[in-house]
Amino acid sequence: MPILQVNNLKKIYTTRFGGSHVQALTNVCFSVDAGEYVAIMGESGSGKTTLLNILASLDKPTTGEVLLNHKNIVSISEKEISAFRRTNLGFVFQNFNLLDTFSIQDNIFLPLVLSNTPYDNMIKRLEPISIQLGITDILKKYPYEVSGGQKQRAAVARALITNPQIILADEPTGALDSRASDQLLRLFSEINHRGQTILMVTHSIKAASNANRVLFIKDGEVFHQLYKGSMSDDAMYQKISDTLTTIATGSVKEVSK
Amino acid sequence: MNHSFYFKLAATNIKKNSKTYFPYILTCIGTIIVFYIMHALSINPQVGDGSLALMLSFGTQVIAIFSIIFLFYTNSFLIKRRKKELGLYNILGMEKKHIAKVLSLETIYVAVFSLIVGLLSGILTSKLMFLLLLKITHFSAQMDFYFSISSVTAVLVVFGFIFAVTLLNNLHQIHLANPIELLNGSQTGEKEPKTKWLLAVIGFICLGIGYYIALTTESPLAAMGLFFIAVILVIIGTYSLFIAGSVAFLKKLRNNKYFYYKPKNFLNISGLIYRMKQNAVGLANICILSTGVLIVLSTTVSMYIGQKDVIRTRYPQNVMISTMDTTPYSEKAPDNIKYIVDTKLQEYKFTADNMIDYTYLTIAAEESGYVFSVDSSNIVDSSSNVRHLYFILLDDYNRIEHKSQTLDENEVLLFTGNQKYGYESLEIINKKYSIKEKLDSINIPTTNTNSAITCYYIIVKDIAVLNTFDKELPTQSLHYYIGFDIDGSEEDIISLTNSIDISLTENYPSLVESAAKAKSTFYALYGGLLFLGIFIGALFIMATVLIIYYKQISEGYDDKERFTIMKQVGMSTDEVKKTIHSQVLMVFFIPLIAAVIHIAVAFQIMTKLLAVLYLTNIFLFALCTLGTIAIFTIFYAIVYSLTARVYYKIVN
Repeated sequence: MPILQVNNLKKIYTTRFGGSHVQALTNVCFSVDAGEYVAIMGESGSGKTTLLNILASLDKPTTGEVLLNHKNIVSISEKEISAFRRTNLGFVFQNFNLLDTFSIQDNIFLPLVLSNTPYDNMIKRLEPISIQLGITDILKKYPYEVSGGQKQRAAVARALITNPQIILADEPTGALDSRASDQLLRLFSEINHRGQTILMVTHSIKAASNANRVLFIKDGEVFHQLYKGSMSDDAMYQKISDTLTTIATGSVKEVSK
Repeated sequence: MNHSFYFKLAATNIKKNSKTYFPYILTCIGTIIVFYIMHALSINPQVGDGSLALMLSFGTQVIAIFSIIFLFYTNSFLIKRRKKELGLYNILGMEKKHIAKVLSLETIYVAVFSLIVGLLSGILTSKLMFLLLLKITHFSAQMDFYFSISSVTAVLVVFGFIFAVTLLNNLHQIHLANPIELLNGSQTGEKEPKTKWLLAVIGFICLGIGYYIALTTESPLAAMGLFFIAVILVIIGTYSLFIAGSVAFLKKLRNNKYFYYKPKNFLNISGLIYRMKQNAVGLANICILSTGVLIVLSTTVSMYIGQKDVIRTRYPQNVMISTMDTTPYSEKAPDNIKYIVDTKLQEYKFTADNMIDYTYLTIAAEESGYVFSVDSSNIVDSSSNVRHLYFILLDDYNRIEHKSQTLDENEVLLFTGNQKYGYESLEIINKKYSIKEKLDSINIPTTNTNSAITCYYIIVKDIAVLNTFDKELPTQSLHYYIGFDIDGSEEDIISLTNSIDISLTENYPSLVESAAKAKSTFYALYGGLLFLGIFIGALFIMATVLIIYYKQISEGYDDKERFTIMKQVGMSTDEVKKTIHSQVLMVFFIPLIAAVIHIAVAFQIMTKLLAVLYLTNIFLFALCTLGTIAIFTIFYAIVYSLTARVYYKIVN
């Protein structure tokens, strides 16, 4: 059963004075089932970020619909959208997006506090997550006091604490060294195994090879997709790499689905 | 490198940074204008070299010192904001000496431009200001266009110095700059401020003592000395409480989990802790400046409005004549002096109203219990227990007040004004007198020139009583007073008093005073103070506006990132706007609130100080204070909303 359904998404940016139009998304259609771990790949300018922004309800498409649990998030009113985002979506960003003014713990609490969750309840929810992510020791610290990997794990904790329908990750390993990246990807797999749906936009083949399925976007369209099936990470890595080369060189070779 | 390159680069830099440089240049121009006008007026030969000129030159000095501090402060703000840009130049291959060259050229541009514009506008408006000065001081002088080379020189020297110092500071900043650090600087994140308990406690104590002094000082003379101590304590207190107290308080709030983890408190408290770290000094500056503006304007305005009252307080009668300390007193003196005054009045065809005359003896004494110690070496002027004792004869009292009291030799009547006197007797020079009656009012004017010291009127049986004092205190002598009200032109009154003065000189040298004669001095004093108040107030306001503006800009740049993050984490634009708005609002109105509290506490001691200047109309002062606060608040709100717009533009 698809938890996320994207139908005929189209986005045209118009420059400030209406001079020129840029088509970021031409016609995007895909769906994500509950419990899936999907990676979206594409070159710079292929429309990845636009797509993620629309999925995150931070931006509106020109036409098309995005159904999350059969609810069209495009038509949610401006007033409800933040609350909707808070309760249904979890975000992990490339640059962590932790607030300097809050300790790690308070950063994680942020979405809960905004939803008026009682303090005791928040603490109860934090405990298992912080153990799972290995951040129990740094809860009282501030973002500037911890490493990039720790920051990103804190950001994951912030995304998880609301029990979201889906986690949207934008280049989560982009600012991490290889060890921290590996750790984070293992964590993502682990979370996914527990049933959490994840949608990740990434440049990194390594990150993508971790996912169940990889969507390739080119010129604003879903160009191709790969299922991991029972493949090993390395085999998947090779396959993604081949596909990207194919896309880049332009010779369209039908790859079996 | 080509030389014109530097000139071009310097010019574009100023243009590119116009958001911060434009207000800075305006301020430079503003301070130059104010300084030029004040200086030109103070040395204007038409103003003379009386108290007015003295006041104006005092004002010039205040403005000079203030300009130095203030322009230096704003400049260092500007250069801090540009550190990244300068680091980039360095990375792109400019050596530090090249950057220094560009910065020097920039400073020269700013300096030359503001000096030319400032001096020209100063010269043009100085005549207007001169007219204003004449108007409010009732000074009569010719309206020549006055252009002063020495004022221009003074401006060039003072502001040349200021610009040179700011340039040196900028060059020093480049010298310290490490390009990589500069480029990455904004990403390292702010550390959370530590709670400085010691500073908070010091601030609290300083403010407490300052407030205590302001609230408890009774004697106006003591107030003069203590006022400055209180001001310094309150300034220290304000700074330390803004810096440390605020953070300590907010952290206490944060420790209360159930209070803290509510959406509004959560964002506001953490945001404020962060803001206070960066803004505490700026906000304390705003607070102190606002307090300064309010005090200067409210006092000078109320003195100016109240000057008629003041003159009446100082001169209860139009013409007041009293014999000097050195004038020998004899039984015949009163009649003789009265005769001379009467003949002069006839000669000048004046009819005197309310003529009052009496013989008196005045002694300064220190009150302790019922004992009045007259040992002059023991009397401390600033003590609140010092009294001027006016001994008046019963005959004179009965005549003036139309009473028929009788007294024994050791009995007196006592009038203590607003002061309460709790005893039934009093002791002076080892002699005890019982008080037959404490009077509620008295219609006898005195020539007491110092309204800061409380007067007691003691009515004694006859001159024999006073003669006993005379023997004990050979330095004191009996005086004769005669005073009256007359109607007439000021000139006529002045010539009458002059003529009386001359005829008395021979036998009875006296102090002949008239409200008419004093008026010009008073107008010059109070008008001059108001003029000074307006100028310094304007300068302070300019500073306040600029600081608020710069604060908003720097806050804006800092908040921009936070704003985006909060949106992504699940806050609506409206919510983010609301929280930011409430924080900014709090941050900017805290200084104003603190300033108003300062004023409220200072009110008591201010009335004491004004009493020294004969302004005893507390109601008027209260009204002026409230008026100034109201106008200033409106002004502040306008400035806030205008600068807030700039802020939201940056954030969005």
